[in-house]
Amino acid sequence: MEKSYKNIQHKKKSSVANTAFVVFNSVFMVIFLIITLYPVLNTLAISLNDGTDALRGGIYLLPRKFTFKNYTTVLEKDSLVTGAIITVARTIIGTILALITNAVLAFIVSRKRFLFRKQLSLFWVITMYVNGGLIPTFILYKELHLTNTFWVYVIPGMISAFNMLVIRTYMNGLPESLVESAQLDGAGYTTIFVKIISPLCKPVYATVALFVAVGQWNSWFDAMLYNRMSSEYTTLQYELMKLLSSVTSNGVTAESMKNTANAVTPTSVRAAATIITMLPIICIYPFLQKYFVTGLTLGGVKE
Amino acid sequence: MRKKVIANMILTVAATAMLVTGCGADDGGKSKNSSGGSSDSEIKEFTAFFAVPGSEINDDNEIQQMIAEKTGVKVKETWLTGQTPEEAIGTIIAGGEYPDFIEGASGQQQLYDAGALVALDDYLDSYTNIKEFFTEQEWDSLRQDDGHIYWIPQFSNIYGEEKVCTHNDEAFWIQTRVLKWAGYPEITTMDEYFDLIERYQKENPTMEDGTKNIPYTILCDDWRYFCLENAPQFLDGYPNDGSCIVDPNSLKVIDYNTTDTAVRYFKKLNEEYHKGIVDTESFTQTYDEYISKLSTGRVLGMIDQWWDFAYRAGDAIKSAGLDKQGCNYVPLPITIEKGIKNQWHNSGGVVNAGTGLGITVSCDDVAGALQFVDDLLGQEIHDLRFWGVEGTDYQVDDKGEFSRTPEMRTNCADTAYKASHLCTYSYFPQWLGTSRDGINAMSPDGQANEFYDGLQTDVKECFDAYGVETYVDMIGTSEAPGAWYPMWSYSNNLTADTDGGMAWTKIGEIKHEYLPKVVMAKDFDAAWEDYMKAYKKCKPEDFLDEMQKELDRRMEEAAKYQ
Amino acid sequence: MAGKAGKKAGNKETEMKVKITWKEIKRQKVLLLWSLVIVIYGFIFYYLPLGGWLMAFQNYKPAKGLLHSEFIGLDKFKRLFSDETFIRVIRNTLAMGVINLVVTFVMAILFAILLNEIRQRRTKKVIQTVSYLPHFLSWIIVTGILHDMLSGAGIVNEMLRSLHIIDKSIDFFAHPSYFWPIVAFANVWKETGWNAIIYLAAITSIDPSLYEAASIDGAGRLAKIRHVTLPGIKPTIIILLLMNIGNVLNAGFEIQYLLGNGLVQSVSQTIDIYVLKWGISQGDYSIGTAAGIFKSVVSIILIVVANQIAKRNGEEQLY
Repeated sequence: MEKSYKNIQHKKKSSVANTAFVVFNSVFMVIFLIITLYPVLNTLAISLNDGTDALRGGIYLLPRKFTFKNYTTVLEKDSLVTGAIITVARTIIGTILALITNAVLAFIVSRKRFLFRKQLSLFWVITMYVNGGLIPTFILYKELHLTNTFWVYVIPGMISAFNMLVIRTYMNGLPESLVESAQLDGAGYTTIFVKIISPLCKPVYATVALFVAVGQWNSWFDAMLYNRMSSEYTTLQYELMKLLSSVTSNGVTAESMKNTANAVTPTSVRAAATIITMLPIICIYPFLQKYFVTGLTLGGVKE
Repeated sequence: MRKKVIANMILTVAATAMLVTGCGADDGGKSKNSSGGSSDSEIKEFTAFFAVPGSEINDDNEIQQMIAEKTGVKVKETWLTGQTPEEAIGTIIAGGEYPDFIEGASGQQQLYDAGALVALDDYLDSYTNIKEFFTEQEWDSLRQDDGHIYWIPQFSNIYGEEKVCTHNDEAFWIQTRVLKWAGYPEITTMDEYFDLIERYQKENPTMEDGTKNIPYTILCDDWRYFCLENAPQFLDGYPNDGSCIVDPNSLKVIDYNTTDTAVRYFKKLNEEYHKGIVDTESFTQTYDEYISKLSTGRVLGMIDQWWDFAYRAGDAIKSAGLDKQGCNYVPLPITIEKGIKNQWHNSGGVVNAGTGLGITVSCDDVAGALQFVDDLLGQEIHDLRFWGVEGTDYQVDDKGEFSRTPEMRTNCADTAYKASHLCTYSYFPQWLGTSRDGINAMSPDGQANEFYDGLQTDVKECFDAYGVETYVDMIGTSEAPGAWYPMWSYSNNLTADTDGGMAWTKIGEIKHEYLPKVVMAKDFDAAWEDYMKAYKKCKPEDFLDEMQKELDRRMEEAAKYQ
Repeated sequence: MAGKAGKKAGNKETEMKVKITWKEIKRQKVLLLWSLVIVIYGFIFYYLPLGGWLMAFQNYKPAKGLLHSEFIGLDKFKRLFSDETFIRVIRNTLAMGVINLVVTFVMAILFAILLNEIRQRRTKKVIQTVSYLPHFLSWIIVTGILHDMLSGAGIVNEMLRSLHIIDKSIDFFAHPSYFWPIVAFANVWKETGWNAIIYLAAITSIDPSLYEAASIDGAGRLAKIRHVTLPGIKPTIIILLLMNIGNVLNAGFEIQYLLGNGLVQSVSQTIDIYVLKWGISQGDYSIGTAAGIFKSVVSIILIVVANQIAKRNGEEQLY
């Protein structure tokens, strides 16, 4: 009773501060929105503008010479369908595999009793900072018969220390009492992982799934490197990248460009390709989003 | 319930993936006969990788299909994406799996060292079109140190009489409106050029719609900084050896970075910079920004190579109707002093012996692959590659002369049309010059009437005023300089393994950093001195020595044929 | 190994050092079995390719392969460290790495917390969806837009001029002093919303009753942020910080490459650009590997130190 009385007084005092905060927050968000939305809208405008006209620059939020031609140019590319199928397959399979393996690993290293907890964590942490380089990796995948197959997209890089650590941190934050009471009931590690920990980890699983899925969706380098000669395993992004043979090509000389001068893709087609790849992610995102913007209710498990 | 649905979904997806991927079997990257197709079951498919950027064509490309029907061969081409040529070639070698055809660009030497290429000399005699492609001397110049020939340079090879209308290379360009305003004067020196721009700018500071002119801009983005750095060689009347000047009499290599002309050229740029003639954004603009400046018609003049700006900016200028204001560019024969014979343009082809199309040891039908190259050089298929389909892409009059309607020209420039219809096999050997029919050019670019019809009005008017018909006439032309030419085919392939290569890379770095500073400096002389100090530190003499050695070697080789 | 285990109140009992005994092994056999599988996997895919590090001590030529290339000892390392350009490049990489780390980090956390304070659900969702979109734009597009905005006639100069802060356009890309801030801004612009996702997820794990308790104690919004939200996501912050400290030498390549030019190259070149110029573009793979090893060693030293500090302070650790 006493407490709530104090509370009311406090509230009055702090209501000014609260309002100030809300105002500041709104202003911040509005500015932030404008700044982040601009490049996207700009890209959209350019993608809807005539390519030759777009070269002249000066397009901001609205196209000057409206056309859908850039989109048809991109979508007419016939290997796009194969690419899309493979990309969807690798995104789904890759995400599922990565989620399961990273979660299992995170579960193991978050068990406080586990004998090699530190060693196993360190083993993975190191992998974040060492890299054998392009050529040795290529030779390895070739020896493992992963090149020219679909599996080169999902098997290597399945477990990543980053994702594992993100899940582990989350798991560490869960109340230990849950596990203890389950263990008292005679539950094994598998049961604890599947029945008790995992359901509580939905937000972090959703986060990691999003990271992996976006990574899978966007990758093209592996398709180019390992499946260069197997066009049946091409990916959507690789097909689009090929369209974008752009000005950034390093190590190119004037003499070699002379013969390919016409091969440079217009900026507007580049923009259209970007929008096309963004669309599916924008569509799927809200479904995952609910897991990490809505606050979590831990049910009856307060400590 | 829901769990079941999800589990089912996963299973289905996994099963589909298995099907799609053929259960992950390693079916290699080798050429395979397309066995599935019913109608084209006899068409053999080869693979090709070119370590240069390029655009892919559609699988059902019409002309590719026509060529396939005629030759029985279709080539699936792949281009460089997101890697350097060296890196791409390096991984391919490490994997040991090659496409049938390969062009390594600056990685070509690696391919040879790795033993990835098939020696072609034993085959050549059986393929008349290929054999005809080079003279004995040229073929011999392609021999590697083991005495064999491994690749065929594809470009700049002229059949019969040379037919060239565009000056594809570097020049001082100027908008036709500037020349028209001045009454089409003779402009032959650098000083006259800048003087003309200054005078024009004073009288006409804006375009018709009030946009401010940019009198002179310099493209300086990454490797494209040749627009800034290599003019001194041309100003002294030498051709584009790319990395040095060669004195044709003494056959000695000269460094164009330190000549008096170089000092005068950069000093001039420095003066013009402070007069507000040189675009202040020159050294920070990206290639895209540069193109968009040219496309708006604001830029009066610049140095560049034709292919680097003309296709993109030219189209934009036309579509915005800026040709009516005289915003197209023509080249001027500029040298440092009057009376020097300029060599911005050289006639005759240039064989870049450093790289070309090779056939790899993974190819299981070398004879078939060469037969295809041979077929591509035959006139009928060559016409298909570069002119397209008769009636659709070009028309023939009763004298047998080819021409195109404006619509056909537009089509051929369209990205989508190119992907679905045209197939030039652009990195396979090809001819320039005159067609075997003796009438037409090997490709539309060289066809005089075709070229003239395609010109925009302001350029036509300008040409008429000077009494010339082509860009080449505008700038004049000289014979190919000598047997050593071009030295860039050597310097392009230098690596940091040698002192010369090391110096070459360092020089590039220093020039990138100091040349803009020199142009912008308040005190030119001091800035130049700083630059020279840094420049000397790179040991340019190492580089020049190596170039001299190569020059001597080339001259010795050439002497055998005299 | 477990040594002085961190001491979190309430977990004392379970944090104690567990001895390796048959009984314990039997008890944990599921965990051990799974870790074995995972270690084998990790060894194959992450540790085996490290055999490629041999390249740094060789004059590697793809034609000869790893086994037959000529060994040259530490030559490549000597070349790297005797080149003053390389030393400068390390400085640039470190500087940009640290600036980017600090700025993107603070912005992401700030954004996540502020977003969490928005009460209207739909607004919250919309803002979040928009915020991460730039992540999907490639650097070439983002740098293109940035170039536009900062050019002489761009919106920034336009604004500064109309506010009479300057009277002549600033050429932002011509001065070395602007380069690092521009890179930092570009990183924040592109990645803030995306980086915030992790923190938003972490915020969801905070027990709502803590907020209720704080309200009852009369805490305002700022106080709740300070005493509930921040401590709640602290472990996540610490872990990400530790991981990113190891990454400061990976300050990137594309953005510097796309925004840089001759005038600012003394501050714009990173290790990766150096490797590309002097290694890969010259057909010299060994120099790239040597630089890679150098980066790995520095990273590992950094995270070991950072982890030790975290341990001493009883914070979340990497291992």
